[in-house]
Amino acid sequence: MSDRVCVLGGGSWGTILAHLAGLAGSETVLWMRNEERVAELNEHHTNERYLGQTQLSELVRGTTELEEAVSGAGLVIFCVPSSATRAIAGRAGEFLTGDQVCLSATKGLEPETYHRMSQVIIQETCVKKVGAISGPNLAKEIVAGQPSATVVASRYTEAIRAGATFLHGDTFRVYGNTDLKGVELAGALKNVIAIASGCVTGLGFGMNVRAALVTRGLAEIQRLGVKLGSDPLTFMGLAGIGDLLVTCGSELSRNFRVGLGIAAGKSLDTICEELGEVAEGINTTRVANSLAKAEGVTMPIAEGVGLMLSGEATPQEVLQDLMTRAARYEIDFDYSAEV
Amino acid sequence: MRREDQERALEEVISRTVHNASERGSRALEAAVADTLYYEQQRLKTAKPSKRRDKERSRYSSYKSRLLRGSDHQRKMVLREMVDSFAREILGNFDPRVHALATRAVPFGLKTLLNATSPRQLVAWRGPGGVNLEEHVVVDGELEHALALRDRGTLILAPTHSSNLDSIVLGYGLHEAGFPPLLYGAGLNLFDNPLMSFFMQNLGAYKVDRRKKAPIYKQVLKEYATVSLELGYHNLFFPGGTRSRSNLIEQKLKLGLLGTGLSAYQNRLRAKHPRPKVFVVPLVLSYELVLEGKTLIDDHLRDVGRSRYIITDDEFASAKRIYQFMRGLLELDTKIYLTLMPPRDPFGNPVDREGNSLDSRGRRIDIERYLMNSKGELSRDNNRDQEYTRELGHEISRAYLQGNTVLPTHAVAFAVFEHLRGLESDPDLYRWLRTGGQTESISLGEASRVVDELVNRLKELESQGKVRLSTRVRECNGQDLLMSALKGFGTYHDTPALERRGDRIYHHDRNLLYYYRNRLVHYGLERVETAV
Repeated sequence: MSDRVCVLGGGSWGTILAHLAGLAGSETVLWMRNEERVAELNEHHTNERYLGQTQLSELVRGTTELEEAVSGAGLVIFCVPSSATRAIAGRAGEFLTGDQVCLSATKGLEPETYHRMSQVIIQETCVKKVGAISGPNLAKEIVAGQPSATVVASRYTEAIRAGATFLHGDTFRVYGNTDLKGVELAGALKNVIAIASGCVTGLGFGMNVRAALVTRGLAEIQRLGVKLGSDPLTFMGLAGIGDLLVTCGSELSRNFRVGLGIAAGKSLDTICEELGEVAEGINTTRVANSLAKAEGVTMPIAEGVGLMLSGEATPQEVLQDLMTRAARYEIDFDYSAEV
Repeated sequence: MRREDQERALEEVISRTVHNASERGSRALEAAVADTLYYEQQRLKTAKPSKRRDKERSRYSSYKSRLLRGSDHQRKMVLREMVDSFAREILGNFDPRVHALATRAVPFGLKTLLNATSPRQLVAWRGPGGVNLEEHVVVDGELEHALALRDRGTLILAPTHSSNLDSIVLGYGLHEAGFPPLLYGAGLNLFDNPLMSFFMQNLGAYKVDRRKKAPIYKQVLKEYATVSLELGYHNLFFPGGTRSRSNLIEQKLKLGLLGTGLSAYQNRLRAKHPRPKVFVVPLVLSYELVLEGKTLIDDHLRDVGRSRYIITDDEFASAKRIYQFMRGLLELDTKIYLTLMPPRDPFGNPVDREGNSLDSRGRRIDIERYLMNSKGELSRDNNRDQEYTRELGHEISRAYLQGNTVLPTHAVAFAVFEHLRGLESDPDLYRWLRTGGQTESISLGEASRVVDELVNRLKELESQGKVRLSTRVRECNGQDLLMSALKGFGTYHDTPALERRGDRIYHHDRNLLYYYRNRLVHYGLERVETAV
């Protein structure tokens, strides 16, 4: 194992993570499928499609060869869409060894199995020291050099240490958490609330609505997370409320923009086409609603978002339904209770 | 353990335990000594009067006075003496020659025990059609796979734990199946049983005194297991720790002892042992009836019982109950299943017959690399190693569910229990167990129907590899299964769980019904939520 870092996936977040690792002083290989983009990265140190003319660390180089990227890297970061993680992990598994650390930076759940990304990596490779990166990390702010903080979660302290060693820098602060499940669920589920937030913003509502949505949204994703075995306090940290505050209030968030599109009356296909990147919240909404049903957890906001995405209800109808629900106490320690 | 290895093992266990306790500095050493003194003196306060107790008391008093004026060196010496005493007590007098004799004696001994209760059967058993224990103990599953690994490394067999008879059944069944002798820890109380102590002593059991609560005692036990594995002795651990009181298949495993496999593997790698690997074989024991079922479930359901870890007054303590139980089992023509599940390495990965670890896609894994640091050197990391063992435990728990063989009493108890509970409007399980609720009986047809429905669902699970069905459960219809289970319930327990009167089925000992029903929890078959 070396001090080299490998990032799989050259979207905006993957590129930023490779850049951060480079800034922290590690030789970093960014694996991408697109040969032109690899050439651009290696010649000009840019990834124009996602990050414009931002100059990336010179320690970052691109490749399309998975073996070259993965073999011998001390830290391997998966940053590909949730629907592609299994296939790529399976291929990377040919070259990964038990001493390596793998972190997932994808905030989503596998569409077919509902598995978390760390589970998928474990299932498809021999690596045990697996974790996740999550938190309020808008790619464009980080690349602009603004201060930011993130969470690296794993049951293995060695994986948390690797995340901190390879990514921590002057403007990027890494915190550790051993509640891997909670961090992954918080990171994925908050995208559902972000879509709702984009929607109410698009409808022209103000801060009162958004604040109510964020806090009640947090309550319901926490309920599901706890039912699935997470620590409730994880949802009060960077991966929970921290990420919600960012994604529910910023147009830089893809999921927020999905909500804006719905409010504007656009079709889901059009919204996705305009985004140009995957908005994990669309798939996660379906997964969250299925899980909530199976676990007997009430998630009115996620249910409403699901109805809007499937075209079964308009944003106004969903809002009306949410506002006319029976009054309840705000704090309820019975995480499965009807609320 | 062979005599030539005993002294070596003893010295290793003592020096490692003392080293581990003292390497963390003066305070840690002082705490280890003080804790041991405290826990041992507490134990001796409630111990039965005996010469041995008096001797131990005076020994601990002398330690106390030595420690008052003691230096670190003095403390270390006292700790060494304490550890020495623990280690000598634990170390069994295992001898392969005696083991071979004892395993041959088990079926003979059990038959003799049974014969003693019935002169008529005594005559029958002496004839050519006598009882054949082989027919009643079935070893199935990944037997060949596990046997293939015995010469490629050291084996740890990890069975579920239902009864004190497990040790005897395992000792006999595994020997007959061709397994080499196994070392295992057995509660001290088992050695007190005059009927069983001979088998316990000579089937490879070493003594575990669960009344000894001092952390250092547990360390000695773990070190002994580690050293014996390093010396190449195949071991048997019950990862559930104690008999399953509720009859639920164990899902929360005690990982301390299980982790010794990883420690032994690491130590052998460092020592450049030619065959350093350790293989863990999960094993599921399935009984139609459980000797101590009644006591175990009553104990589980009593609030106070939940903390009662050592039971010394159960059915196992009564020779008569053991006779009755064994007779019942043989008369029922039932089988005890010992199902071996696919072997794993100490990290939880599956292993092929050549001893190679594989990932989920069947690719070979170089497991040595799991233990390497960033410089490519073998390293120790407690958190990492605990996590590896936790993952192994997770795989064993999963294997337990998959290897569980459903027998008629399990299927019938589950189906009828769930049906009866579904008829009640009161969700309180405890109240139902106490009073029996509104419905005191159901029709034979109704009971057969719910059994049929359950078996259909079980067959689906079996086709997905999630559980195993005994031949009888797979092939009989609901009514035949019901009759078979009713016969079973009526054979041994004083009050049957279920009983037929005319064309109706009555529930009597609902605790027992609940106990046998619990074997099928964890498969998502429940109609109503009844977690206890």
